[in-house]
Amino acid sequence: MYDIIIIGAGIAGMTAGIYASRAGKTVLILEGKMHGGQIINTSVIENWPGDYGVSGPDLMNKIYNQAIELGVKIEYEEVLEITRKPEYATTEDAADEIRQLWSIKTDDGDYSAKAVIIATGTEPRKLSKKQTEEAGERPISYCATCDGAFYKGKPVVVIGSGNTAKHEIKYLEGIASEVLHIHHDDPIPEQAEAIFVAIGRIPTTAVFKNLVDLDANGYIVAKEDCKTSTPGLFAAGDCRTKTIRQLITAAADGATAAEAAIDFLA
Amino acid sequence: MIELLDFYADWCGPCKMMTPVVSEFKKAHPEIKVRQINIDEEEELAEKFKVMNIPCVVVLKEGEEVAREVGVLPLRKLEKLCTI
Repeated sequence: MYDIIIIGAGIAGMTAGIYASRAGKTVLILEGKMHGGQIINTSVIENWPGDYGVSGPDLMNKIYNQAIELGVKIEYEEVLEITRKPEYATTEDAADEIRQLWSIKTDDGDYSAKAVIIATGTEPRKLSKKQTEEAGERPISYCATCDGAFYKGKPVVVIGSGNTAKHEIKYLEGIASEVLHIHHDDPIPEQAEAIFVAIGRIPTTAVFKNLVDLDANGYIVAKEDCKTSTPGLFAAGDCRTKTIRQLITAAADGATAAEAAIDFLA
Repeated sequence: MIELLDFYADWCGPCKMMTPVVSEFKKAHPEIKVRQINIDEEEELAEKFKVMNIPCVVVLKEGEEVAREVGVLPLRKLEKLCTI
């Protein structure tokens, strides 16, 4: 059993791990994919103080090493279900009721913790079924900086109208012969040899929908104190309702959520 | 014989996350032949294996493709992919 289990190893989860571990708590981070989070797709970061121009992968590898050095444990397993162990939930005494133990089932094991920090971030919104069918055999990419260079001198299409789409178009214009641009629901042009999707992001919170309040868009409702509607469950980083989703605000959430969890365990 | 092909490029950020993983993998599994393929230098190999998204790892058994995964993988998942 762990004092605190953190779900997600992006910057919010890793920062929470560092804080909780330094406070003497036993900490496990569960990560379904790879540590690092969304920022590993960014090649140059200019707004992270103290390390001007650092790349996302370099920054996250440093933070990973720091977390491991400080005693944080990471298991690469996807969380399938999280439940409250009933024997710890008494209805008689409200004060006792919040002292629940959480049981977490993953694709490879079972874990339990006294407090849980959800730091699952967001994921790219997937192409609609209709557009996936229109795409046919053509490659679909959610990362122009990863896959753009495969289409040197070839026509491609970018789907989306937000900042990410603009960024992807600009990047691809230096590579592709032609960068077509369509909005969310438009038909996919036939001449495009690859489809780059940038139609926004959605919070990775489906697993928690019966445990904590989510807003209409699926974000976990929590204020700056990172406390969710359920005592003992905390939300940190991009998956939380907030106005500014940046690397540094995610890191700040990690610290706040860890302190809140430590306080809860006291 | 099992072979692991790791397709990457210098301009690909997420690929950099794979570098320490692949080094660790090589140390832990000397029995598996690991080839790191820079897709800009070995374009024909990337084409042969129809690699269109990177990072991408392809597992070969006796020269036949038996598994493939796109995206960054932690060590344990890479090991799992190779236990065919």
